Amino acid sequence: MTRNAYRVIGQSLPRKEDDRLLRGDGCFTDDLQLVHQLEMVVGRCPFPHAAIGEIDVSRAAALPGVKHILTGADVRKLSDPLTVLRPVPGAPQLPFYALAQERALHEGQPVVSVVATSRAVAEDALELIDIDYQPLPHISVALDALAEDALVIHPGVMKSNLLSAHEDRAGEPEARMAEAEFTEEGRFHINRVSPLPMETRGIVATWRPAARELMVYTTTQTPHLVRQQFAESLRLDESCIRVTASDVGGGFGMKLGINPEELLAALHAIALRCPVKWIEDRLEFFRASTQARESVFDYRIGATIDGRITAITNQYTTDLGAWNSTYGSAQLSSVTFIGPYKVPDAVVERRVAITNKTPIGAYRGYGQPEVNFAREVLLDRLARRLGIDPYDIRKKNMLQPEDLPWTTPSGAIYENGDYLKTLRMAADALDYETHRLSPRVTRDDGHLIGIGFSSFVERTGYASARFLAGRGSRFGAHESVTLRANRSGSIDLYTGVSTFGQGSETAFAQICAEILGMEYDAIHIHAGDTAASPLNTGAFASRTLIAAAGAILEAAETMRGKILRIAAWILDCAPDTLTIDGDAVRFREGSNQSVPLSDIFFRAIIGQGIPENESPGLEASAHFEPTDASFSFGTAAAVVSVDPESGEFTVERFVMAHDSGVPVNPSLVDGQVRGGLAQGFGAALAEHLQIDPSTGQLTSGSMLDYFAPTAADLPPIELLHSEIPSPVTTFGVRGVGEVGTIPPGAAVANALCDALADYGIELSALPLTPESVWRAIESAQSTRKGEPL
Amino acid sequence: MACSAEERIESKDIPRPSAEGDSLNEKEITFFLNGEEVTASVPVRMHAADFLRHRLGMTGTHVGCEQGVCGMCTILLAGGAVKSCLLLAVQLDGVEVWTVESLGEDDQLNELQAAFKRHHALQCGFCTPGFLMTATGLKARSAGRALSRREIREELAGVLCRCTGYEGIILAVEEYLDHGDNEGNPL
Ligand code: FES
Ligand code: FES
Repeated sequence: MTRNAYRVIGQSLPRKEDDRLLRGDGCFTDDLQLVHQLEMVVGRCPFPHAAIGEIDVSRAAALPGVKHILTGADVRKLSDPLTVLRPVPGAPQLPFYALAQERALHEGQPVVSVVATSRAVAEDALELIDIDYQPLPHISVALDALAEDALVIHPGVMKSNLLSAHEDRAGEPEARMAEAEFTEEGRFHINRVSPLPMETRGIVATWRPAARELMVYTTTQTPHLVRQQFAESLRLDESCIRVTASDVGGGFGMKLGINPEELLAALHAIALRCPVKWIEDRLEFFRASTQARESVFDYRIGATIDGRITAITNQYTTDLGAWNSTYGSAQLSSVTFIGPYKVPDAVVERRVAITNKTPIGAYRGYGQPEVNFAREVLLDRLARRLGIDPYDIRKKNMLQPEDLPWTTPSGAIYENGDYLKTLRMAADALDYETHRLSPRVTRDDGHLIGIGFSSFVERTGYASARFLAGRGSRFGAHESVTLRANRSGSIDLYTGVSTFGQGSETAFAQICAEILGMEYDAIHIHAGDTAASPLNTGAFASRTLIAAAGAILEAAETMRGKILRIAAWILDCAPDTLTIDGDAVRFREGSNQSVPLSDIFFRAIIGQGIPENESPGLEASAHFEPTDASFSFGTAAAVVSVDPESGEFTVERFVMAHDSGVPVNPSLVDGQVRGGLAQGFGAALAEHLQIDPSTGQLTSGSMLDYFAPTAADLPPIELLHSEIPSPVTTFGVRGVGEVGTIPPGAAVANALCDALADYGIELSALPLTPESVWRAIESAQSTRKGEPL
Repeated sequence: MACSAEERIESKDIPRPSAEGDSLNEKEITFFLNGEEVTASVPVRMHAADFLRHRLGMTGTHVGCEQGVCGMCTILLAGGAVKSCLLLAVQLDGVEVWTVESLGEDDQLNELQAAFKRHHALQCGFCTPGFLMTATGLKARSAGRALSRREIREELAGVLCRCTGYEGIILAVEEYLDHGDNEGNPL
C-alpha cells in the first residue's frame, strides 16, 4: 500500500520531541546533577604506543577533594575486558581492559582515572600523577601493519596484525575477469573521520550497595545492550543494572555499546557509593571516541567493450585501530559492493588490520559510503576509457525491476525497486541530456562545469536473528514495545529505543495512532529506560522502524481487539460492528451511540464492568523480528564548477533521487536524508582525522582543526522521492537513517573528472580538496608531457 | 561465583564526599538572568556556560567544545550572541544575560521556536538553543532589514548542527526574520 492508504501514517506531523528541546527542557546526561555527585576525569596515553612503567599517584591522592584513583592493575582486579557485540567471525578476543595494562596501544587510550569533588579538581590531580612511559615503535598505516615483517601489536593473542579476513563470492569472478574484453582497476583511499555528535559521550553512574542497583544514565543508542555489557564486564547480574538514556545529543552509530570510560565511571561509583559523573571533553573525544571509515579498496571491474560489466573483484582493508570496539569496523562494504548493478560473478575480500590508532566503531553508513566511492568512481573511469557516457554505462548495467529479488554475493537480497527510475529522475532534474552533448567550455569566471552521478543501494535493517548469528552478532534483529492504557483515555508506549534525533517517538506514535484509530496526541512515548521497556535491540543500522513497526502493529492490534470486545459488551453488540474513532468507540454505521475510551480504559484497568471472561488490565507487549533486510536505493548527481588553474571548486547543485519505501512521516525522511548528506559532504570534502605517520599522532584533533560543515558550507540540495513499497516490511517502509552518507563523495569526484575531461585527471582518495584536485591536474599533465607525440 | 566489583574494594578505600577543593577562590557576582536579578558566588576559574548550567540549573545552554567553535553554548549578553564557554562566570557581573529558557511562555513556543518546529529544524536538539539564541540576537540586530539567504547562512555558521543539514534551520530563521514580529523576543 502507498502512504495514501493511511490516516496518520504518511503525514508530516509535528514531532513529539520538539517542544521540550525548543524550550531548553531536554534532559541530556550532563543536565543531571545528583546529590553528592563526584566527577571523573581520565588520564590518557600521549603516545601512539608506549610501555607503562610505574604510576605514582601519591601526590594526586593527597590533593584536597580527590576521592578515588584507579590504575590498570585495579581495573584488572575489578572487571573483565570490554565485550564486543559484533565480533568479527573468526577473530581472537582482545584483552581490552578499561585501563591500559602494561602497554598503551594508541594515543588517547585511558591509563588512569581520577574522581574528585569537581572536574577542575580532578584535572588538577591528573597533572600530579607521574607515569613512566617508554615510547615504543608504532604503526599508523594499515597496509604497513599487514607487511610480513611488521611489529605485532597484540603479540601473544595474534600472530600478525590481521585480525580477520573474510570472503563473499558468487559465480566465477576470476574466470570472468580473465576473459574480460576490458578491465579497469584502482586503489581508493577512504579517510578516517569522526561521527562527531554535538553532544560528546557522558555518564552518571550510581551504586546502592544494599539494594544492589547500579543506576546508569548515559548517552547511548542501545540502553539494553549497554546493560548487557555492563553486566558482563562488571561481573554483575543483569537484574542489578538499570540503564536510561534520556535525550541523547546525536549518535550516528558512535553511541552503541560501552567504552572504557563508562566502565570506569561505574567502577568508581561502586567503590565510592556515590554518584560519579563523566562528561567527555572535546579534546579527549577526538582521541577516545570511536572513529570511522578508514580503509583502502583495490577494486577491479571486468567488462565487455560495449560497457557491460562481467566481473567485479574487490579486496579491501579496514583500519580497525588498536582494539575491537563494541561494533568493530564496518562490514557493509561486503554487502553492497556490487551496488545496483547486475553482476552475477563477483567476489569481495575484507581484511581487518590492527594499527596503533584510536579504535574504529560504527558510523552512519557502516561501510557503504566507502565502497560506493570506490565503485562509482571506477565505473566512470571505465566509461571514459571505453568512450561511453557515465549515464549510459549505469543504465546498461542496472538491475531491472524484473531482475529482483536479486541475491548478492554476501547472500543479501535486494527485494524490489526501480533503480533506473532514480537515475533518470536525477539526470532529468539537471537536464543532463543537454550537458552531455555540450563541449566543456570555460565559463566567464574561468571555471569548467561537470556533472557526476553516484548510484547506490542501502542495506537497511537486519534479516532475522539467524542471519545475524551467521555474522557473529551477539544481539537480535527484533524490536519490542509495550502499550499501556491510562484511565484518562490515553496510551503510554514504552520502548527501549532511546531518542537521539531520529524522530522515533514521533514515528512510533503515528503508527500506534493509526492502528488504534486514536489521535496522535493521545499517544505518549516513554523511551530508553531498561526498567520501563521490554528487552529490545536498539536504534542503529537503519533498522528501528523496520523492526519496531511490526511490534507496534501487533501490540496495537491486540489492544484494539480487547477495547472493542469490552465496548461490544457494554453496547450489547458484536465487536466487529464497532470501531475506535478518536477518543471513543463508535458503531461503524447506523447508530451514533458511542462509549468514551476513558470509560473503557477505566473499567479495564480496575477490572470492573467488563465481560466475565476478560482479564483485568489493558496492556500489550509484542516482539517482532523482520524476516528480511530492506534495500533503499537511488542516484545522486552533482554539478561542480572547477578552476583548472587552482583546483578550486564549488558544488553548485546536488540532486538526490531516492526510494525509502513508504514514508511514515515524510518530513522526518527528508530530515534524515539531509542530515546524512551533510555528513556525507563533510567526509567527502573536508573532514579528516590526520595522523602524522612519523609521530603516530593526531594532527587534526580539535574542533578548530576538524572541519565539519557549517550552514555556509553545504551546497544547495534538491531531494526527489520515489516511494515504492517494500514487499518484505510492515507498511512497506525501508530504512532511511544512513542513505545520505553514501553518494556525495563519488558524485563530486565524478563531476570533477567530467568537468576536467580534457585534462584526463583521476581522483582516488577522500577528502576531495582543491589541493588534491590541483595535484591530480598536475600529475595528469606531467604524465601527458611524458607521452610520445 | 565470581566476586563482584564492590566486594573487592576494601572499606578503608572508601572516602566520603565533601566540598573541599571546590570552595577555594570564589567571587560574588550580581547580574540579570532572563530578566531577574541573580547574586551568586562563583569559582574564579569556572566558565560562564558551566556556571549557568551547573550552579544555576539553566541546562538549556549546552556545551560541545569549550573552544568557541561549536556554538552550543551561545547566549545573549548585553544584547549580542556570545559563546559562553569563552567567558568566565565572573565576567557576567553587572550584565544582562538571556538564555533559551527565556523564550516562550508557559506552555507556548514563541514565534521563532514555532518556526523551528514547523520546518523540522531540529533532530537531537542539542544545537537548538545555540541557533535560537543566535537568531534572537540577529532579529534584534537586523532591525527589520531583510537578510539574504546567503547572509543568513553566514550568520548561522557560528553554530554547528550535525543532524539536520541546516535546511530547516535556515528556512525557520528566514521566516522569523522576514515575518515574525518581535513578540516573545526578549531583546
Ligand atoms: S561549547 Fe562554546 S562554542 Fe562550543
Ligand atoms: S539537531 Fe542534533 S546537532 Fe542539531
